[in-house]
Amino acid sequence: MKKRVPMVLSVALMAGLLSACSTGQGGQTGSEGGGESSDGVTTIEFWAAPNPTQQAFWQEMADAYEAQNGKVKINVSAIKESPTSEASIQAALAAKSAPTMSENINRGFAAQLASSQALVPLDTLEGFDEIVQGRSMTQTIEPWTFADGHQYVLPIYSNPMLFGWRLDIIRDLGYSEPPQTYGEILELTKKLKAKHGDKKYLWAKPDLADPTAWKRWFDFYMLYDAASGGNKFIEGDAFTGDEKAGVEVLSFVDDLRKEKGLLARQVTDPFENGTGVFTDVGPWTFTTWAEKYPNLKYNETYALTMPPVPDGMDPADSKTFADTKGLVVYASATKEQQAAAIDFIQWVYGDANNDAAWFEKTNLPPARDDLSTNESFQAVLDKSPQLKPYAENVPNAVPPMDNAKYNDLQTIIGTEAFNKVVKGEIAPAEGWAAMKAALEKALD
Amino acid sequence: MDQRNNKLGWLFASPYLIYSLLFFFIPLIWSIFLSVTDWDLIAPTFNVVGFENFLEALRSPSVHAAFWNTYKFMMIFVPLVTALAIGVAVLVHGLPRFKGLFLIGFFLPYLSSGVVSALIVKGLLSYTSPVNEFLRGIGLDINWLGSPLSALFVVGLILAWKFTGYYALILTSGLESIDKEVYEAAAIDGVKDGQRFWRITLPLLYPSLYTTLILGFGVTFGIFTEVYQLTGGGPGNATNTWQMEIFKQAFSNMQVGYASAVALLASVATFISIFAIRKILEIWGKRNGWV
Repeated sequence: MKKRVPMVLSVALMAGLLSACSTGQGGQTGSEGGGESSDGVTTIEFWAAPNPTQQAFWQEMADAYEAQNGKVKINVSAIKESPTSEASIQAALAAKSAPTMSENINRGFAAQLASSQALVPLDTLEGFDEIVQGRSMTQTIEPWTFADGHQYVLPIYSNPMLFGWRLDIIRDLGYSEPPQTYGEILELTKKLKAKHGDKKYLWAKPDLADPTAWKRWFDFYMLYDAASGGNKFIEGDAFTGDEKAGVEVLSFVDDLRKEKGLLARQVTDPFENGTGVFTDVGPWTFTTWAEKYPNLKYNETYALTMPPVPDGMDPADSKTFADTKGLVVYASATKEQQAAAIDFIQWVYGDANNDAAWFEKTNLPPARDDLSTNESFQAVLDKSPQLKPYAENVPNAVPPMDNAKYNDLQTIIGTEAFNKVVKGEIAPAEGWAAMKAALEKALD
Repeated sequence: MDQRNNKLGWLFASPYLIYSLLFFFIPLIWSIFLSVTDWDLIAPTFNVVGFENFLEALRSPSVHAAFWNTYKFMMIFVPLVTALAIGVAVLVHGLPRFKGLFLIGFFLPYLSSGVVSALIVKGLLSYTSPVNEFLRGIGLDINWLGSPLSALFVVGLILAWKFTGYYALILTSGLESIDKEVYEAAAIDGVKDGQRFWRITLPLLYPSLYTTLILGFGVTFGIFTEVYQLTGGGPGNATNTWQMEIFKQAFSNMQVGYASAVALLASVATFISIFAIRKILEIWGKRNGWV
């Protein structure tokens, strides 16, 4: 036995060392060389979002494009998430192994990359204007213009984030349709708590108390965009927040907390399991619901609405946050690669059927002005009626800020105001004032 | 002959020296360089900012939290994992058969993915989980990951579960090396069963215990996965760690220069703490006559 224990120890240590060495990932790590080869073929590296559906879409597009263009080879691979796709892109840029282009880039991250001169201003590339015109996205792309007047990202999809309501539960409370103003929602919360006590909450979501920057997109920004009529909150390096709207939003959240309508605790699928009756819903959710929660049926067990508005405001004027991501071309790519990349994008978006195929596969509404009017998308919308409110509200959605410090800034919204109000640690007006002061200091 | 031995010595030591050069000294020098710049590794230009990053880090509440939280985790994790590892080692040592099998069983959590175990714990601590339903039924409504103290305990417990088997393996090896004749002589000298562990086993186990304690203290300076998955450093900064802070600054805020300064401060804190802990353990051992 004396000999066996050191042996077990040695084997265990070796196993530990080997498992520690493993990254769990293999394969190529970016463009190795690329550019134009001696036979005149330009190779471009395309990093797709790290999910099989989007990767498959871009692989199909690349194959079809290559079949028509023998002079370009497109290598499609998924962005590695080690531990996030943003960190992988940053590491690749630092290691000079960045791809030619990638998708899945939000406006804030693009602002960070643009401030480091890592992105090509797309509007300076020949063919970009034709893409915008050909894809009917002049209106949708307009708010994407960066503070320096350039376009660094071509938005692929734009999800106007909507709120879901558990129709089956609120029907039991006497409602035939979801309430749309703060006062109506508070009334519903009182009825819900009176009937279900601590078994059900209006909004059950652990993220409400989590200061992680991106989480504000799916609570504070949705409500704020609705209350402020789409005010930009931060524009370039200036805080332009609408105080009246902001305090109204925080007061609404505070009122919900006082009525015990919020549950900011770790809880598994609260909306799906009926612990919460109201939550933000993105169209990517429906595929999971179809597999995991087939009982959730549109307009039977759940409904979708634009964010609620303060009392006295017309719910029809509601705006929301646009969860939107797009394509970028990296400055490290050669001129030939950049030209090939633009040509590829032009080819993809020159045919609305490709956008329709994207919409059908991913449920993510293409960033186009004609989504609810173009015949190409009618079949998808008829097949999945829950996507209609998303398609209709693309023009009512406000994209994220274009500030390179967006992570810090959005963390401040949580730590100084939103999270504190959710936890009852600060009054709404004081929270707004503290947040404003901290944001202005950070922007200085 | 001496010269030949010297060459052979350098040859045999070269893999470690090359490894250290590539993965320790060069990154260290690179990190020192980055820490005095505002470079994000991507921009074509950067500014040398001197000690500005260090000063900013020393003023940062989240860095303060990372510093203190390390010692809070230490106070939870080290006693817990040491007690559990000693318990497991003593139990396995007393087994007549299959010691290796049991040791491997206890060692498996060490090889498990931190992400997976964190996700399982997240499910277990869900508001609607049977555990919490039961606790609420008896009047205990605990917001496990939402209150600072319980969040620290949850992370500390996961780490203890993960490392117990590993440390038990080292301690079992120490127990196996204690000659049975020592116990027999002690029995003849009148040492009772109850005194045996404290008077014989623990002193003779000291070298192994010293190793596991140093390893345990070291773990608390490198906590990342469990915190990243479970709390993200929150609530507030209650579970923020050095590694979380470095990650957030480098990969979320793209402030690589600042993150390098935080990493160097973390290294200094780790070095001083481990040095002090080693000294305390050595004094403890000497005072008791164990070394």
